[in-house]
Formats: sequence, C-alpha cells, structure tokens
Amino acid sequence: MKRLADLKKAGRKAFVTYIMAGDGGLERLSEQVKFLQNAGVTAIEIGIPFSDPVADGAIIEAAGNRALKEGVTLQKVLDELASWTFEVKVPLIVMTYLNPVVKFGIERFAKECKRAGISGTIIPDLPYEHRELVQGATQQEGIALIQLVTLTTTEERMEAILQEAEGFVYAVTVTGITGARDHLAEEVREFMKRVRSKSPVPVYAGFGISKVQHVDMLRGDVDGFIVGSAIVQAFHDDKIDELLPLIDAVAAPSSV
Amino acid sequence: MTKVKICGLMEEAHVKAAEGADAIGFVFAPSKRRVSVERANELAKYAPVDIEKIGVFVNASLEEIEKAVEMVPLTMVQLHGDEPDSLVEAIRVPVVQAFSIRSKQDVERLKNSVADYVLVDAPGTDHRGGSGNVFDWSLLEGGGIDASKLIVAGGLNPENVRSAIKQTRPFMVDVSSGVETHGRKDSSKIQKFIQQAKGDLMEQAIEKVGFFGKYGGQFVPETLMKAVKELEDAYTEAKQDPEFLEEYHHYLKEYVGREQPLTFAKRLTDAWGGPKVYLKREDLNHTGAHKINNALGQALLAMRMGKRKIVAETGAGQHGVATATVCALFDLECVIFMGEEDIKRQQLNVFRMKLLGARVESVTKGSSTLKDAVNEALRYWVTNVEDTHYLIGSALGPHPFPTMVRDFQSVIGKETRRQILEHEGRLPDVVLACIGGGSNAIGMFYPFLQDESVKLIGVEAAGEGADTERHAATMTKGTEGVLHGAFMKLLQDDAGQVQEAHSISAGLDYPGVGPEHAHLADIGRVEYKAITDEEALKAVITFSQLEGIIPALESAHAIAEAEKWAKQMAPDELLVICVSGRGDKDMATYAERLEGLT
Repeated sequence: MKRLADLKKAGRKAFVTYIMAGDGGLERLSEQVKFLQNAGVTAIEIGIPFSDPVADGAIIEAAGNRALKEGVTLQKVLDELASWTFEVKVPLIVMTYLNPVVKFGIERFAKECKRAGISGTIIPDLPYEHRELVQGATQQEGIALIQLVTLTTTEERMEAILQEAEGFVYAVTVTGITGARDHLAEEVREFMKRVRSKSPVPVYAGFGISKVQHVDMLRGDVDGFIVGSAIVQAFHDDKIDELLPLIDAVAAPSSV
Repeated sequence: MTKVKICGLMEEAHVKAAEGADAIGFVFAPSKRRVSVERANELAKYAPVDIEKIGVFVNASLEEIEKAVEMVPLTMVQLHGDEPDSLVEAIRVPVVQAFSIRSKQDVERLKNSVADYVLVDAPGTDHRGGSGNVFDWSLLEGGGIDASKLIVAGGLNPENVRSAIKQTRPFMVDVSSGVETHGRKDSSKIQKFIQQAKGDLMEQAIEKVGFFGKYGGQFVPETLMKAVKELEDAYTEAKQDPEFLEEYHHYLKEYVGREQPLTFAKRLTDAWGGPKVYLKREDLNHTGAHKINNALGQALLAMRMGKRKIVAETGAGQHGVATATVCALFDLECVIFMGEEDIKRQQLNVFRMKLLGARVESVTKGSSTLKDAVNEALRYWVTNVEDTHYLIGSALGPHPFPTMVRDFQSVIGKETRRQILEHEGRLPDVVLACIGGGSNAIGMFYPFLQDESVKLIGVEAAGEGADTERHAATMTKGTEGVLHGAFMKLLQDDAGQVQEAHSISAGLDYPGVGPEHAHLADIGRVEYKAITDEEALKAVITFSQLEGIIPALESAHAIAEAEKWAKQMAPDELLVICVSGRGDKDMATYAERLEGLT
C-alpha cells in the first residue's frame, strides 16, 4: 500500500478498479487482473459475491448472483489468488460484506488474505464503531482495513475515521448505492476537498464514477478514482476495451 | 431477575434517576414523604411509560384510592393499613398488601391475602448488618409463600440488596430510606441501588448499548450511520418525553382500539383437556394485527424528527398495511417494498396499501420474499436517507430498531401481564407467540422476562419440515451471522450466503431472527419450537371452529404449538397464546389449501 502514498507524492492520480470475482467463472479472474494491470490501473478490488449486498446497485448485485451460481466462495477466491504464479504488480484488495468473513472466521480471513498476497480489505457494512471486530486480526497480518467516508458522515466522525485511516480513504461520491450515474452533485467537490485536507492517506473517490467528465470534475480535489459497476458491466459484456480511455484519463503518466 | 421499586419519591430529579427501575412509589399516607395526588401526577410525567406507578395508602377509602388511580394515573396500589379483603378486591389495578412479619401468625395472614402481591416489611430495621441478613427470613421458611408474588422491603440499601436478592429471590425489592442521604432521596444512591439489584444485566446494557449479549450492533453502510445515530438519539429522547408517550398511547387507544382483551378460550380449554387457555387478541387491532403498535410509534417518531417520507418492507403485507395506514392518518409519503412472491400470495393487502395511498414496489430479486424486500428498502433508505425514515416492521435491523420495535410492541405483554393477574390473580405458566423476525413475540415476552416462573415459547415456521430444504426454522437450524444491520441468527450456507426461507405464512418467511431473541435463546430464557405448514393449517380449522376466531397463518403456528404444550399441562395451570393477527388476509390460501372442508 506504500506505493499509493508514493504515487500521491509524485503528483499522479490513482485508478482503482473493482471486479466481481467469479463473474463468468473463477478461471476468468486471472485474465482480468492481468488485463487491468497491463492497462495501468493502480490497484484492484476483488469483490466477493454475497447474497444480500445492500450497498450495491443492480449491476454489481447481478454480477454477484452470477458468481454465486458458479459456486464462488471466499475460500475459493483466496485459494485461486494464492495459486497464481504470474507477477501481480498492483496491490489487491478484497471487498466483501461482513457475513462471509464472520462465517469464514475473522483471524483465518486475515491469515488467508496474507497468504493470497492481499494488501487490504474493504467491508462496507462494518462501520468505524465496530472496526475492532476485524482490525486486530488484519493489523496482525499487515492487511489494511480501508474505511469509507460519505456525504452524510458528520464532521466529528470523519475526523475520527481519518485519524485511523489505513491504505487509502474510500470517499463515496453519492448518497446511495453503487452504480453508474450521469451527473455528480456539485457539493461532492467541496466534500472531497474537506476529506483531502484532513486525510493522512490518499483519498479516492468512488461510487458512480463511470465517465471522463466525472474524472475531470474531481481531478483537482482527489488523489484517485475507484470504478466498479462500469468495469464489471464491461467485462460481462466483453467490452472492456471501451474503458481504456477512462483508465488512461486518470492513470496515464501524462495525466496530472 | 428481580424487579426494583424506588419508593417515596417527591422530586423530579429523583424520578428521573429511577428511570432504570421497574416501579416507583408515591406515598399518599401521612409520612414525611407524603405527596398530593396532584404532585404525583406531575412527577409521573417524568417517569418512563413502562414503569409501574404505585400509590401507597394506609386505611384510605375506595373513593380516595380510585381518585388517585385515575388522576396520577397509578398502575398499582399498595396498602399498609388494616384494609378489608372487600376493599382489596374492589380496586381495579393490581394490589400490593404490606405485612410486618413478627410471628408465624403474621405469615398466616400474609398467606391468606387476596392481593396480587404481598410486601414483606422487616419489623423495624434492627436486623440490618450483623449476620448479613436483611431481616429474619426464617419466619417465612416452609410457609409456602409464592416468591413470584413477594416484594421484599425494609432495610435494603445499595450495599446489601444483592445478597438480599440472592437469599430470597423475590418478585421485587422495595427501597426508600436506603437510597436517602440526611432524609432526602439521593440520585446517585438510587442509581447505584438499581445497578446493584440488576447486577450484570444492567452493567452490560450500560457498556454495550445496542447489543443483547453478543447480538445486535449497527452493521450498516457508512451512508446510513448518521441516520442510525440520529434515530438512536431521537428515540432515547422521545421515550423519556411524557408528551410523546401520551400521544402514542392516545392513538393506541383512540385509533388502534387498545387495550385488547385477554379472552378466556373455554371451548379450546375443554377440547385440549389441559390448562386454562387465554388468548391475547391482537387480531382485534385496527388493520388486523399487532404490526400497527410499532408502525404508529415509529411514524410519530419520524415526524418528531422532521421526516415526512416513510419507506418500509412487508412480508405478509400486515406491516405494509399498518404503515400505509399511519401514513394516511398523518399525511406522510409512503413507499412499501414487497416481494413479488408475497404480492401474489397477499393480493388483498396489496390493494389495501394502494387504497390507503401508498406506493407498492414489487421486488423480483432473490426469493422475491421478505428478505429481498428488506434489501430493497435498505437501498432505498441509503439513497433517500436525508428526508426519509425507514419504518422497519420487525425486531430486526441496526440498533436502535430492535429495541425500539420491542418497546412499541411491549404494550402486548404489559396488558397481558396485568390482565392475567386481574383474571386469575397469578401469572401464567406458559406464554406462546409466533416468530418470524420476532416482533409480536418480543413484545409479548419482554414484560415477562423477569418472571422466571413463566415459560416463554417462540414458535417459528418449519415449512415443509425443519429437516427438509424448505423451512424458516432459524432458531432450530440457523447459525450466527450478520444480516440487515445486526449480528443475529441466520439460515445460511457454509460460505456465509443467506439462504431462502420457506413457509406457507408470508409473515414468517424470513431467514433470520432478531438479536434479542438470539440472546434469549442462548441464555435459555425463551424456548423456540418449529411448526410445519400442515400443523398450522390444522390449527386454523380447530381454532376457527372452537373459538369463532379465524387466526392469521402466523398466529396459527403459536396455536398449533400451544396444543402440544396443553396436552402436557394440568387443569390448574394457565396458558396464554398471542393471537398476533386475524386470518382475513389468508382467506385465499385457506380456500385453496382447505378445499373440501365441510
């Protein structure tokens, strides 16, 4: 995760992608990771499917259901990652709802993540208040527990969250669930400025980012972008090449 | 779990300090702690709604007592004089009769009391300290005193109350001078006394707000945390505001039609040949089920928070109808999410919601039932959180929902407890309620939790059989996990994916049970049983034909399980069933499944 800070120091923007592990079969995961790292992404979130993804919109939910039909589990994903022999050049982050982790065993989860070469984890239904449930185990294994801040996060709370931020801060651009949007509200810029002024780690904007104009709008106020639904849908439709301009707009060395 | 009464209150601050107690007392008899009825009325406004308000009298007339009961109002009366049995019997609220025990004769008088509870006052306080005995308990030993009716008073203080409870296991402990400093009540002593008396339970509650044992919590996306915290603060404040509680009770009475009777089921009692069977008639509520108790409370709270848009989920449609009803009543905007499968099963309720002005959104994801409707309602809430209240319908979800729903539904158990004491002069032996998420059950059980003699039975849906793939028997078959904002019990696979539940009853068709039930199961306070679709349908027929009450399919599960218990019980025992709703909504299912009925 250090390279995320280095990237920020170098004045470059990060492009983090989310993919649903096992959408289209678990064997596709390695191709997808190879493709994305070659395309120049900064980090990859590996989504674990869950039966009740209440923070997600229709695209990621549908991808999760397809993965569940393929029989994908947290264990299978971590085993798959651990079995890779090619060079993984970017940090991998596991994004999962809390219940599969609880069922798996929290300490075991942290250990297995480490074994699989995972750098961090995002658990959207584990709020700051309950972070101790997981944080002891993840810190033990050197896995960053990435926190989210949103437009509804109060000032006081945000300061507390940022003080303990690890890896990067996931700054949510919409009051809502994941999924592509046409427009982002103007207040988002102010929000990003606030978060960034207080954050000791890089601030990445996510939820609803799918277009070059979103990137242009927020470029000056964030350290990077997280794109999920658009990537998931593009892989599903076999149109991932269409997203290369978006990746380039953020991450190409000429883009500052 | 002994209850606590703080007696002789005269000041608002001390009433507030006694908030964690189960009862407070006002002395109307000549005493340095005497208050007027008017003053007691003022003070009572600062007490939580569910606390017992007990008036203490010495040889007062029935007229005086009745006036105080009406005006304060009092929920119980405590008599310290030589009141005749006829007076005790004429008082319409439960009565505590006080006795000073000096001899075996006093014990006989106490045993013959016709009052609902007997208070044993130590003769003076000369037994304090010394042996550590609060008073000479040996006088009562072997006297056949029913501990569930017993209130212990005299000489108690924060230091000795724990050992007094351990020694005597009474229904309630009563303190007055033991929480005073220089003859005046002392808030910190009051709180210390309650804390000591309630032991670990209270400490746990103070340390871990929002948890029941290890269950509960606020496992929601960050976007919802602000709303959840605001709700927590608003509810904490509202439940202590006498005006809010008055408004809530006003609507319960004038709009919902409470209180509901506790009906003696004579033919069912005869047919089962066991205990006397009583029915708590939630089916008589406006809209036909218990759901409106909670919908009403939460709608009032939402308005208090300035939110005029409501989102809710519904399974059987009863909660949806109750929510749409209160939204019509208060002119609130209302969106209801309902699984497509449930919409098919409960068309009548769908139409009722629409007629009431609600927008009904069909959910086609997952199993298209209650779980998926909750998911969609949560997503809607995440997106519209700034101006919308999520009016959750069961004792589920992130804190404060499970507590709040329980509190609003506790009116069921509170009425039942008082009514059975009025009818029978004692507590029931067994109380049963059906359980999907668990709201009518927790509302029924909560006021009985500390009455250890009362067996509490939650009845979940075994669908086609708990050993088949198609059931909703979470307590029987489930494991711990996180769903819809809380750590609770779930039907899930080895990978932590939540499974689909199945029950003929749409209201029980949920793969989780709320956090407080999960805790009550762990500590063994409530027993959980499962009833199949077929058993429930059979109970529908029996119940309809013997009692002239067509129950909801959900309630029929409790009735079916009650029959099993009744067969094992004696005629002098008492059994209470919570009839959570009426069967109108299930008529299409009944017509189909019970075809050929003659």
